[in-house]
Amino acid sequence: MLCTPHEHQLSRRRLLGYGAAGTLGLGGLGGLVQPSFAKQLKKDQKQVLFIWIDGGMSQLESWDPKPSSQFGGPFRTIPTSIPGIHVSELMPKTSQLMHMLAVDRGVHTQDNSHSAGVPRINRGDPKDRGVIYPYFGSAVAKLIGPGDSGLPPYVWVKPGSGGFKFTDAGFLGPQYGALAIGEGQAPPNLLRHPSVTVAHDDVRNGLRELADERFARNRLALARDAQKFVFDTARTLMRRRELFDDPDPKDVARYGDTPLGRDMLIGRKMLEAGVTFVKVNSYGWDTHGDNFNGHASLMPRFDQAFSAVMKDLDERSMLDNVLVIAMSEFGRTPRINGHVGRDHWPEAWSIAMAGRGIKRGIVIGKTNDLGTFVDSEEHDIGHFFHTWFHALGINAGETEYDNNGQPLPIAHDDCGPITELLA
Amino acid sequence: MIADLTPEQLKARYEPKPAKVAAIQRQLHAAQFTPPGTRLIGGGYDSLVRLWDITAEEPVEVATSDSHQGWVQGLALHPTEQLAYTADSFGRLQCLGYADDKLELKWQMDDAHDGWIRSLAINKDASTLVSVGRDKTVRNWNPADGTLRSTRSVEGADLYQCAFHPDGKRFASGDAHGSVKLWSVDQLAALGECDASELFSVVRLQDVGGVHTLLFSLDGKQLYVGGTRPKNGGNVQGEPLLLVFDLETKQLVETIELGPASDVYVQHIQEHVDGFLIAATSGNPNQGKLHLLRRGDKEPFSTTTNLSNCHHISIHSSGDRLAITTTSPGSNGNGRPLKDGNYVGNHSRVQLLAFPQPEADSE
Repeated sequence: MLCTPHEHQLSRRRLLGYGAAGTLGLGGLGGLVQPSFAKQLKKDQKQVLFIWIDGGMSQLESWDPKPSSQFGGPFRTIPTSIPGIHVSELMPKTSQLMHMLAVDRGVHTQDNSHSAGVPRINRGDPKDRGVIYPYFGSAVAKLIGPGDSGLPPYVWVKPGSGGFKFTDAGFLGPQYGALAIGEGQAPPNLLRHPSVTVAHDDVRNGLRELADERFARNRLALARDAQKFVFDTARTLMRRRELFDDPDPKDVARYGDTPLGRDMLIGRKMLEAGVTFVKVNSYGWDTHGDNFNGHASLMPRFDQAFSAVMKDLDERSMLDNVLVIAMSEFGRTPRINGHVGRDHWPEAWSIAMAGRGIKRGIVIGKTNDLGTFVDSEEHDIGHFFHTWFHALGINAGETEYDNNGQPLPIAHDDCGPITELLA
Repeated sequence: MIADLTPEQLKARYEPKPAKVAAIQRQLHAAQFTPPGTRLIGGGYDSLVRLWDITAEEPVEVATSDSHQGWVQGLALHPTEQLAYTADSFGRLQCLGYADDKLELKWQMDDAHDGWIRSLAINKDASTLVSVGRDKTVRNWNPADGTLRSTRSVEGADLYQCAFHPDGKRFASGDAHGSVKLWSVDQLAALGECDASELFSVVRLQDVGGVHTLLFSLDGKQLYVGGTRPKNGGNVQGEPLLLVFDLETKQLVETIELGPASDVYVQHIQEHVDGFLIAATSGNPNQGKLHLLRRGDKEPFSTTTNLSNCHHISIHSSGDRLAITTTSPGSNGNGRPLKDGNYVGNHSRVQLLAFPQPEADSE
């Protein structure tokens, strides 16, 4: 049954009431507790928060600083909650949460262009078998499924336009694409128009179902399923309008009143609501020019949003179930160009992760003193796909996709999980 | 008087010609003529302060000091004594003597700021040294011994620049958001603000632009503020802008655009005693220009385009030479540029340029 805007307002007030009770009775869970949340906590639903820092975060201004070296840049390092480990001074909040994280400083990937690097990284760089592999979000949507929330398994919270982004799904088929929430806005026309009664709506849906059946008769199952999936998704979202409510100003203050802060907050709400895979995008990190002034504002905003979501997931005991990954398509060059920028650098960079199946408070991998190359075992994206699948309880060495009878490995055949990262 | 000269005459008289080059295997932020004019002193991204003898046919590096950490971006020279004040991105401020071709530490203040000291300025009687930094503070120091006299925290963004008024009693600070504040040396009292927010924009998650250079006119009536009109973040692009403010009214009286969006920033500006401005721009790698602009004109009478990325200008005390700190061409590229198996960093050149001799101005 659909809620009306009036009922919806009531539910928001009730939610505030729960919030007050929560503040008194549940300490750190604050004003965000929903009646269904306690049940959610008990479930062992595997989920992923995938934070995509588009353009390339500088490893030297974040996870792997090299102060006072030729390429080290102007920033100092600060100690973290892991003794002996330092990160850039631009991450003061995250530095105090390092005991929750696992950071690999030995990442070495293959592409130094956005156009090739973004899809290659997102697909796990599998061997070429003449098919288009799914992005990690679509893969998880397929392999883990939507859970019992009724919500789409793959939600992408991003600046810019929203809609259904089926291209991520590759050969899995469009129903494993991403439901994109653009600018934090609910999809348009989410609520039934007040002039349409429930009875009238039922009649209209009956007519729609007849049309769907006719549409499906001469179509492939993939297209038919995708059509049904998108419509079912829309109907589910209509029942969950509260997911798009204005955020609590206190939460906005904690996450940062920035595009990333707001989107990260929505991402957390989606995870709480039971979405299997949530991707949160931040754009604008391609700092070929003015890298240091750029990172001086970019990094603190990432730091605030990332540390806030980590704290919230930890306080809600969600890190037992949620795998968190923060990464770009590559790092940035050690060399500083004439525009005081850093260019693309896949040779030696860092990925941070936490949560389900991941060891806590560990930094592995090592770059040389200048930060130019990996000075330990190199880890490519194929290794990470194996690692993340393993963390989610999926053995990538044994699990295969079935692409209309064609068996396909879910991660690069020649790679395996990075065991030091696994809990 | 240059006011009477045509642009062609100005160009003939002042368009600078290459003289010497000091090449450095690391990246410099700035190099400045010492007051006697026989040496250059500079600091950069390698934590070093360097001293060159420029009297020979080729500049010779005669001394270095490794007493800094991080980037050495703050540089101010005592107007009469052989003393250099330098500051780094880790918050250290120090005074170096450079007599006898040695760099000798006179005093040093660790944690002079919390982190990156972006700019230093000293007044003409050397009674006050001011500094600004990423910790959003303005600080007044005694140049004689490094004693901190006063500190003022500023609301807003990181402070990028500071510059003294010719009277030595006032100075200006400029920040990452294009806010310019005027201060009196006494008690660091606020004297007013100039709105240069045209030089700033938030693009997605990034603060872009800010005040990249500040200069009071030699007659003390105007304040020049340089930066860019930001078009985007990431690979920052935007037209290089020079904003001119009337000091009495604090109002913007002129906006001068000095090139296309690929040239990006007016990184530094200086005024020649003959009455023209010299502006260095630097944007996309290998996109940097040196503009000579008569005060009051809209267009430069000379633009030098072959200097690669220009970051800093120093005018020789004689007025007949310039030192332009540049980054080498071919300084960018994705992926691994290896040379003989080694990863190669960038390097800088200090381009010494000379104005044509007066006799060339016979007409």
